[in-house]
Order: sequence, then structure tokens, then C-alpha cells
Amino acid sequence: MSSWLDYTINGLIVGNVYALVAVGLALIFGVSRLINFAQGSIYLVGAYIGWVAVVQLHTPLPLTIIVVAVAAAIVGLIIERFGLRPLQNSVRIAPLLATIGISFVLDQLVMLTFSPNPRALPSQLPDVRFQVGGGTIGPLDLLIAGVGLTSALLLFVFLRYSKLGWAVRAASQDRDAAMQMGVDVNRVNQAVFGIAAALGGVSGMLVGMYYNQIDTAMSLQATLKGVVAEVVGGAGNVPGAVIGSLLLGLVESYGVAVFGTSYRNLFAFLLLVVVLVLRPNGLFASARQAPPEPLTGTFIAPSRPVRIPRWALLVAAAIFAILPLFPVSFYVLQTLINAWLLGMLALSLTLVAGSVGQVSLGHAALLAIGAYTSALLSLNFSVPVGFAIICGGLMSAALGTALISPSFRLRGHYVSIATLAIGEIVSLVILNWESVTRGPIGISGIPPLSLFGYDLISPNSIYWFSFVVMVVLALLQGRLLGSHLGRSFRAIRDDDIAARAYGLSLNRYKSLAFIFGGFAAGVSGGIAAHLYSYINHETFNTQQSILALTVVILGGLGNVVGAIVGAVALVGLPEVFRIAAEYRILIYGIVLLLLVRFRPQGLLGTM
Amino acid sequence: MSNIDRRTLVKGSLAAMMAGAAGSRTAIAQSSEPILLGVSGPLTGPNAQYGTQWKQGFDLALDEIQAAGGINGRKLAYQFEDSQSDPRQSVAIAQKFVSNPAIVLELGDFSSPASMAASPIYQRAGLVQFGFTNSHPDFTKGGDFMWSTSVSQADEQPLLASYAVRRLKLKKLAVLHLNTDWGRTSRDYFVNAAKEYGAEIAVTEGYIAEERDFRSTLVRVRDANPDGLILISYYSDGALIARQARQVGLKQVICAASSVYSPKFLELGGEAVEEVHVGTRYFPEDPRPEVQKFIAGFKKKYNGLEPDAFNAYAYDAMNMAAAVVRIGGTDRKAIRDAFTKVKDVPSVIFGQATFDVATRRVKGAMNAELVVRKGQFALWDGKPT
Repeated sequence: MSSWLDYTINGLIVGNVYALVAVGLALIFGVSRLINFAQGSIYLVGAYIGWVAVVQLHTPLPLTIIVVAVAAAIVGLIIERFGLRPLQNSVRIAPLLATIGISFVLDQLVMLTFSPNPRALPSQLPDVRFQVGGGTIGPLDLLIAGVGLTSALLLFVFLRYSKLGWAVRAASQDRDAAMQMGVDVNRVNQAVFGIAAALGGVSGMLVGMYYNQIDTAMSLQATLKGVVAEVVGGAGNVPGAVIGSLLLGLVESYGVAVFGTSYRNLFAFLLLVVVLVLRPNGLFASARQAPPEPLTGTFIAPSRPVRIPRWALLVAAAIFAILPLFPVSFYVLQTLINAWLLGMLALSLTLVAGSVGQVSLGHAALLAIGAYTSALLSLNFSVPVGFAIICGGLMSAALGTALISPSFRLRGHYVSIATLAIGEIVSLVILNWESVTRGPIGISGIPPLSLFGYDLISPNSIYWFSFVVMVVLALLQGRLLGSHLGRSFRAIRDDDIAARAYGLSLNRYKSLAFIFGGFAAGVSGGIAAHLYSYINHETFNTQQSILALTVVILGGLGNVVGAIVGAVALVGLPEVFRIAAEYRILIYGIVLLLLVRFRPQGLLGTM
Repeated sequence: MSNIDRRTLVKGSLAAMMAGAAGSRTAIAQSSEPILLGVSGPLTGPNAQYGTQWKQGFDLALDEIQAAGGINGRKLAYQFEDSQSDPRQSVAIAQKFVSNPAIVLELGDFSSPASMAASPIYQRAGLVQFGFTNSHPDFTKGGDFMWSTSVSQADEQPLLASYAVRRLKLKKLAVLHLNTDWGRTSRDYFVNAAKEYGAEIAVTEGYIAEERDFRSTLVRVRDANPDGLILISYYSDGALIARQARQVGLKQVICAASSVYSPKFLELGGEAVEEVHVGTRYFPEDPRPEVQKFIAGFKKKYNGLEPDAFNAYAYDAMNMAAAVVRIGGTDRKAIRDAFTKVKDVPSVIFGQATFDVATRRVKGAMNAELVVRKGQFALWDGKPT
């Protein structure tokens, strides 16, 4: 029985670690209704500044903390001033994308400066251990708990009793009204970003000391767990974020206790989905609290789409169709094949995110479902590849819609977080359901693409095949959006209450969108599986989902042609920058930021 | 569709003929252009550290090859393309390499999804894909152009099991492994061998690569009451587990796979990795000349930095590539055939490496039983810990 005490203590200890990130995220969300994907990167920057201070400058701990806090705060202020403030009056989704771009840039800068090798960050506290239950805790555990709780408490008091705190809360409730009442909203935002960044930096350093290890991969993981904890506690609720973090730690620890280590994250994300479905405002939201998202759909602001004349589209399609007849290298063709596959995924996402307003961050799961279905059918049951890919699309449509349907009542950011969690769950199920998916070993020897008995193995034939499939899907989607159904979709996106008042069944239309989108994504995954011949649970990862969203926003939400243009751009850019070797992702991040800054509605505009 | 295939076939064979012609011409002319190898591996993204370690190993090997007069008077060089270990990018890189007639051989990629997604392209184009960290059992089954010097886990894990069970006399083991294709395969080989040697497996726990907190896992381990912990880990997670095991009060013997063999393991693990046993393929005081040359050269080139396992794999791979190119020249198919002919190439990992033509892998990795003492890897003296 004493083991349960140990599991509880361990859960609280790790929850403690999550709380540090979650508090910063909650603070920023509370004011700007923004999930700051760059918070993990600030955490990373803090860890490395801490390393410089401790290992190179030999600063004592209190000074180290101050140095890290100040430096991280400066980074936060820079992000706010140059990354986010210019986007204030643009589409609500633009800052979200900007934080993703900023996190690319920061992570890459750290990696280039310090090399990607992990480093030891020695703790500066005396190494005494206290016996608690079967294990021990050290002074660093207490310090982390202290920092987490104190900062949450201080923030709570600050928000409730200080004048600037009132301003912060006023700005979070209604920015425009606050501005009219004379609140300097920019100053409020600055204060919040500065505080959150300082906290993020210090937490990165403390966690680095805790594990005696820092590396550049810690950023994304920190953001993921922090977001889960924050949402469980109630987005924007600072004390709730601490409790959410502890709860997350406990659930993970008990999950390990009952089912084993490999199931750990599965429980974290299941917890998130359950909380979102049952109490979308988080566990600790009060009943009278206003809904965290505005009632009407300003999340995606409409803009005037760029009209491309039909003949231009036809010419472009014709050029791409006859491209392989010219002496272009297979490398160019392969890059375009990748673009067409990503284009199918983007078509799917631009439908659910752009046309219906369900911004999904877990779209790679649909690829994975399609890929595994098609691969397993063709391997285990000798189903012809062409038919297996269609089955993959159907399975993706069915399973994807079924998985997402509990979250249909969510709005705005919450849809993104729920889909993020579902994406992770699908990947973890693939990892653990070994009897079907072969677990981490993955599926090898998947037969190559073939159609009516002919193998498509030359780059030209694969190119034509994927291009035709994408064009057909795009035409279908264009037809769909031009119909009555398309208008209903956009009505739901723009104002779901009005849409409901007009008698539209929201769930039915959302399902329809996910069924069609799931099919396109599943087909893309299926083709990829036969193209690669080997897939495992890592082939379709979170980075793919984020990439797909970037493509869609870049092209213009809901814009069919935009999705394809975006896919070509985002597959092409990193290849074009290949000459820059290690710097290419950095350049890519900067280009992305500039695009968001100067064209937030996307290249071709929102439809 | 058959029509398309015929056309590409004609085009492809034309390209191959041209490449072949170009190759033979340069071979005759003894061009001063370097012989080019393609490398596909991660330089950015979550696995970037391994790509940088590869580079260090490659560069050292190339310095030595150049100093010894290169390949029949020509220089050897590589073109490193960053794949982020992402299958989408590794397939594009594969097309880039196969359509560049200057590339005579390809090395990499790092992860199995990225490497094996590119295999069909290399196989069809007839360019050798030489994967030197690809332990996935199906990697070389991709075709007769897939060759690997990655230590087969069927070889390595029984050695580790023998160290733990026969030499350290551990009877009841807890196995913690990375839940990847490598970790999973390794675990299965280890468990089979350990059972054969008479040990009992109390519990096995797989964890994902991003995991940092192992305290709850270690409570499970404690409750299974083993007398030894086996880590099938890389150095960063291995160090984390060792630290946390000591923190939660586990005092059992820890025995780790060779993949933790890195100075970083000592740096990251600190005092917690004292007395950790590691089965490795070489060790610094190893009198074998290839090991001494490698370690001395590495420290000299990189300001006293100690090489680690991934440096050694890359160093060996480049030496093997040089040996193969010496036999096969610059013709891609001749290079494939050279893999069947190359014999007893001096190797840090294998001593002398010769491919088993049936499996296209190298058998018979060397074995050294090390233990961490006073913050250094040292040869285990047989004293119980």
C-alpha cells in the first residue's frame, strides 16, 4: 500500500514541474486569449541563460535566478513588442501562428548558439535528501514547489488587488471597453508578457537543474504539458493552472502505476479530453464566468479573397500536369509529390478549420489512421493498393469523426486543444496496440503504389497519381463549398448561434465537414504509407499537424487554392533554403513570421 | 499506365547509361574532383545532436584517409543533407542523391522511419544506402542495395545479458527500454538471452523518447523487487534514470547498453552513474591499434573531447565507405558488389569488419565490460559492486 503513497508523491513532484509552465501560459491566456506556443521556447532560453550563469560565470543561486528572470523578461518584451503587438488588429488566429513562428526562431537560435548536444546544469543547492514515503525529496523539489505556489499566489493577489492587475483583468474581459475607460492596453500586455516570460525562464532553469540536463528538445514538450495543465485548470485561471498541473501529475503517476510507463501520456491527454468535454471552462471555472471565447466567430475574420481567374488556374494545373515530360530532376518531382500529399492534408484542414471554424491541431492523426488502415489491409488481407487507400480514407473519415464528435460543443481555442489531445492519443494508441499496429517496430514492407495491377514506382507515375488525386479532391471541395452546404458551413463558422437560430444542426454539419476532411487526409496518409514502404508511430507526428495548420493559415483559411499554394510554399521553402544547412529552419521561421506580419489573412485570403 | 512506365524506364536507363559513362570517364581520367558520398541525417530538429556527432566522426576519418593519399589519389568528400530524420525530407533527399551522378554511395538516415522510407528509392535507382545506425531488423531486407554496419542487436544484447547474468551474477532483472523500434528489438533479444542464462525478468518498462520523469516507473521497478536494473537507453535518458533511481532510494546494480557510452552520460549523470556497468564495443585503454588511433585522433582534432559511441559508428562507417570505394571505384553497381568483396576493414566497433553477404550486416562486434569509477569509464576488474 505504501507504493500508492509514493505514486502520489511522485505525481505531485512532477505536477509541480508542470505548474511552472502552466502558470505563465494561464497568465497570457487570461489577458490576450492566446495560447502562447513560444512559452516553451522562453523556458528553453531561460535554461540556457541559467547554464551560462552557473557554469561560465559561477553566479550564486539568488543572482542566477535574477539574471535569468531579467533576461527572459526582456525576451518576452521583445516578443510582445515586435512579434505580437503589430498583429493586434488582425485576425485572431494570426498571433497564434506568430507564437509558433517565434518558437521556431528561438529554438533554432539556442540550438545554433549552444549546439544540440544536451548539457548538464548542476544544481546549486546543497545535496541533502529528505525521506518521504519510500523515496526522497531534495531541496530543489521544495524550491520548485515554492516558486510555483508563490508566483501563483502573488499573481492572484496582483490581479485582484493592484491597479495594474485590475487593468489586466479589464483588458481580458473586454479589450475595447478597457481601452475606452483609459486603460493602456499595450502597457498591460507588456507587463503580462514580461512577468510570464520571467516565470517561464526561471522555470526552465529550475527544471534543468532538477534533471541536471538541458537540451533543445525540451521546448515543445514543456509547451504541450503546460497547455494540458492550464486547460484542465481552466484557461486563464492562474491558481487553477497550479491545481490542474498537480492533477495532471497525479493522473500520469497513477496511470503508470496501473498500466505501465508506456501509457503515461495517454492518461494525460485522456484527462484533458474528458475535462474539455465535461467542463470546457476547466475544473475551476465559476458558473458566472463569461465564456472564454466571444459569442460570435471573430476567431477567423473574413477577408476579401484574391480572385484567381479560372483560366489562370487551368494554365497552372496544365503546367504542373505536364511537368514530368520536361527534363526536371526527380528531386523536384519528389518535392512536389510531398507538396501534393501535404496539399491533400491541407485541403482537409482548410475545410474543417477555415470553412467550419474548427481549428484542428491534431490532423496528423487522420494521416496515421489512413496510413495504417491502408498498409495493414494491403499487407494482411492482400487488398489491392488502390482500393486499400480508399478504405484508409473511409476509415479516417469514420474514426476521425467519431473521435472528434464529443468536442463538437467546444469553440475557438478549445477545439484546437481537444484535437491536439486526440492527435496525441491516436499516436499513443498506435504505439501501444501492438497486436494490430506492431507497436514501435512499425510496419515494413508495405507494397508500392499500384493501380489496376500496374505498379506505380517511377517518380513520374507517383507524381501524376498524387497530383490527380489532389486535384480531384480540390475540385470536389470547391464544388461542395459553392453549394448550399458550403454556405451553411460558413454560417456556422461566422456565427453559430445565428446559424442555429436558422435551424442548422451544428453537429450534423460539423460531422459532414470532418467526414469529407477525414477522407482527404486519410487518402493522403494511405498514399504516403505505400510511398515510404515503412511507417511507425513517429511517421505522422505533432510537427505534421502544426505544419498543416501553418499551410492552411498561410494559404488563407477555407481557401481551396490557398491550401495548395501554401503546401507548395511550405514544402518548397525548407528545400530552397537547404543551401543554408543548419540555418534553414531559422530562415523558414523568420519568413513565416514576416508572412504573418504582413499578410495575416493568408496569401490568397480567407474564403 | 504501362506506357508511362516504359517511358520512365527508357529515361531512367538513359540516365543510368550517362551516369555510367560519366563515371568510367572520370575513373580513367583520374579526375582531381573528389569522390562524393551523400549523407542524409538530422542537423536540425529533435535528433540534431546525432547528426553533429556523425559529422565529427566523418571528418576525423576523412582527415586520415586524405593523409594516407585518398582513394587512389582522389579525395573523398561527403555532401550532408539535413533530413531532420523526417521521412518526407529523406525521400526528397534520396531523389536528389540518386539523380546526382557524382554521388557514388549514400550514408544514413538516422531513424528507421526516415531511412526505410527512402530505401525503395535507393534500391530502384541502384545506389547503395549504407545505414550505419540502422538496427531495425528489416532495414537490410529493403533490397540488395541496403547495407548496414549497425551492430545487430541479436549480437549485442546477448553480450550485455552475459555481463549482467553470468559475470555480475544478477538473478532477477528489471528492464527499462526506449519504446522505439531499436529499444523494443533490443529488449526482446536481451530478455531471451538473459532467460537462457538463467535469470528471471521481473518487469519490463518501455518509455517514450521525450520522457524525463521516471520516478513512478521506478516505483514499479522497486515493487517488482529485482536485484539489477538493465537500461536499454541512450545516454541522456540513461543518465536521467540512473539519477532518479538513486534519488528514490534504489540501490540495485545498474547495467546499461553500449548506447549510453558517452562522456555526456558521465556529465549528465554525475555521482548517480558511479558504479554503473556498461557493456561496450571498445574502451579507451583498449590496446587495439584502431581504437588507439581513433581516440588519439579524435581528442587531438576536437580539443581533448572524448569520443562517444555515435562518433565511433560514424568514423567506422566512413572508413568502411572508403574501403568499399577503393574496391568498387565510382560505379554504383560496382560499389554494391564491392560490399560483398571487402574484407577485414579495421574497425573500432568490430575489430575487423567483413559483411555477411546473406544479411548484408557485419557480425561479431567486440565486447568490453566497463564500469564507471570516479567519474570515468574503466575496465571492470571483476570486483563486485
